[in-house]
Amino acid sequence: MVYSIRSKLVVLACAFAVTLAPVSCGGGGGGSSEGGNSGGGGGERGGTLTILAASSLTDAFGELGNTFEERNQGVEVKQTFGASSDLLAQIEQGAPADVFASAAEEEMDTAAEDGLVAGTPRVFVKNREVIMVPRDNPAGINSLRAMARPDIKLVLAAKDVPAADYAVEILGKANREYGPGFEQDVLSNVVSREADVRAAVNRVVVGDGDATFGYASDYTPDIRNKVKVIKIPPDLNIIATYPIASLKDAEDPELARKWVDLVTSEEGQKVLERWNFEPAAR
Amino acid sequence: MRETGRKPQAFSGSREWLFSGLAVGALGLMGGFIAVPILALVVWTVSEEAWGAMASPVARDALLLSMKTTAATMTIIIVVGTPAAYVLARGRFRGSRALNTLVELPIVLPPSAAGIALLLAFGRFGLAGQYLNVFGITLTFTTVAVVMAEVFVAAPFYLRQAATGFAEVDRAIEEAALVDGADRTATFFKVTVPLAFPALVAGAVTAWARALGEFGATIIFAGNFRGITQTIPLAIYSEFQSNIDAAVALSVLVLGFAFAVILTVRHLTSKATEYSD
Repeated sequence: MVYSIRSKLVVLACAFAVTLAPVSCGGGGGGSSEGGNSGGGGGERGGTLTILAASSLTDAFGELGNTFEERNQGVEVKQTFGASSDLLAQIEQGAPADVFASAAEEEMDTAAEDGLVAGTPRVFVKNREVIMVPRDNPAGINSLRAMARPDIKLVLAAKDVPAADYAVEILGKANREYGPGFEQDVLSNVVSREADVRAAVNRVVVGDGDATFGYASDYTPDIRNKVKVIKIPPDLNIIATYPIASLKDAEDPELARKWVDLVTSEEGQKVLERWNFEPAAR
Repeated sequence: MRETGRKPQAFSGSREWLFSGLAVGALGLMGGFIAVPILALVVWTVSEEAWGAMASPVARDALLLSMKTTAATMTIIIVVGTPAAYVLARGRFRGSRALNTLVELPIVLPPSAAGIALLLAFGRFGLAGQYLNVFGITLTFTTVAVVMAEVFVAAPFYLRQAATGFAEVDRAIEEAALVDGADRTATFFKVTVPLAFPALVAGAVTAWARALGEFGATIIFAGNFRGITQTIPLAIYSEFQSNIDAAVALSVLVLGFAFAVILTVRHLTSKATEYSD
């Protein structure tokens, strides 16, 4: 009886060790940049900067977030990425945040109308949409026009998510060139509406979706060998304009302002450009 | 005569009052914590007059789909799970412990993790999915995928309680039936199952509730499309972004639906146990 209890404990201990070992090894390396900063908040100002940003900004803002933490010792940057419409709903429900960066002006306008924004929002970056298909292109799509063919498993972001709204706008424009039924034909191919644009892109990455409309910036290095990009004719494409603003209920308006400055600075714009965004000025 | 017993009794009496009071207070706290959000749902619906949203096409589609998929899920779970639970309960084979742990895994696995796992198994490039794809069968984005996700997360709840129920059935009664000339199958259906019935029902209700509320695995594996894969939890999440009245209305709808089913099952079960005595 004692023997079996001991052996049970040994098995349990081994199970825990196996799961915690990679966490502590990996966490030590990856977490040091953030842990060190917030831990060493002795001399400089401490504090947390909470940013709600469109999911397409994940990589660029992630990089800028690390830069910001290095420059502002003691500050921890907490970012939540998601569909801009979803983030807006959270802000309206009172989610504590300092900065809001949206993939479309509509969400920012609504936030401003509801008195949630401090100051005037500014457009800090632009983006274009592309069609993404799995590397093996099971549906054989080679152009925007081909999207009207039946039996294509098209995945889009949910309704009201900027990426999806932009896609519908593109299809509406395409009606002029490809015939009045084009938009309807393409939309009848939709099989799933995902939480945000990155989730939709991911469907294509894992090969279950035949195609999706994503941002040019969503074609990140890590998915390049799994996904093919099909360009949308420039005259039919949209230009997504991303506004950023500090929020009225920001815990630290000064920090928020510093973040906006970093993002709109030449350095910030270079980082965004490297991630395939288009600078605001152009 | 009993004087020596008085004083200690009075002391333990006040301690008993204290602990009883704390226990009742704890219940009140828990009950209140559960009641307030539910009340908030109802209050919003009434004050914002969001009743209309309950009849919207989105709500209708979601409710119908949830009813369809959970019905299919429960059929599968009960038909396949009952004999499986019986073997689990009675089997003395090697690895029965490991098997028990395996079928209980989905209970502790976070639903989103389950969704990823299902995708990796049955997606177009999945472990099993790639072979299905050869035959032109793709499971993602179909209602079948919703049922698969629901079965994955809910089956363990039924298996566990059914196995416990079967294990507790008095062997002597079964043996008596066998001695009296019934074969194993007849014994199973006419003796074992009725005796284990309360546990089976409890397990089924828990499993059904879990299947109805399944979100993470469904949205990751099956996707989100009205009428095909957008079950009630997915509809609530989707509507929250654009139309909170619809989200609230759906929540109240599913609350009412679940309440009705649980009441019905409880009523039917109490009738059954009445007769069994």
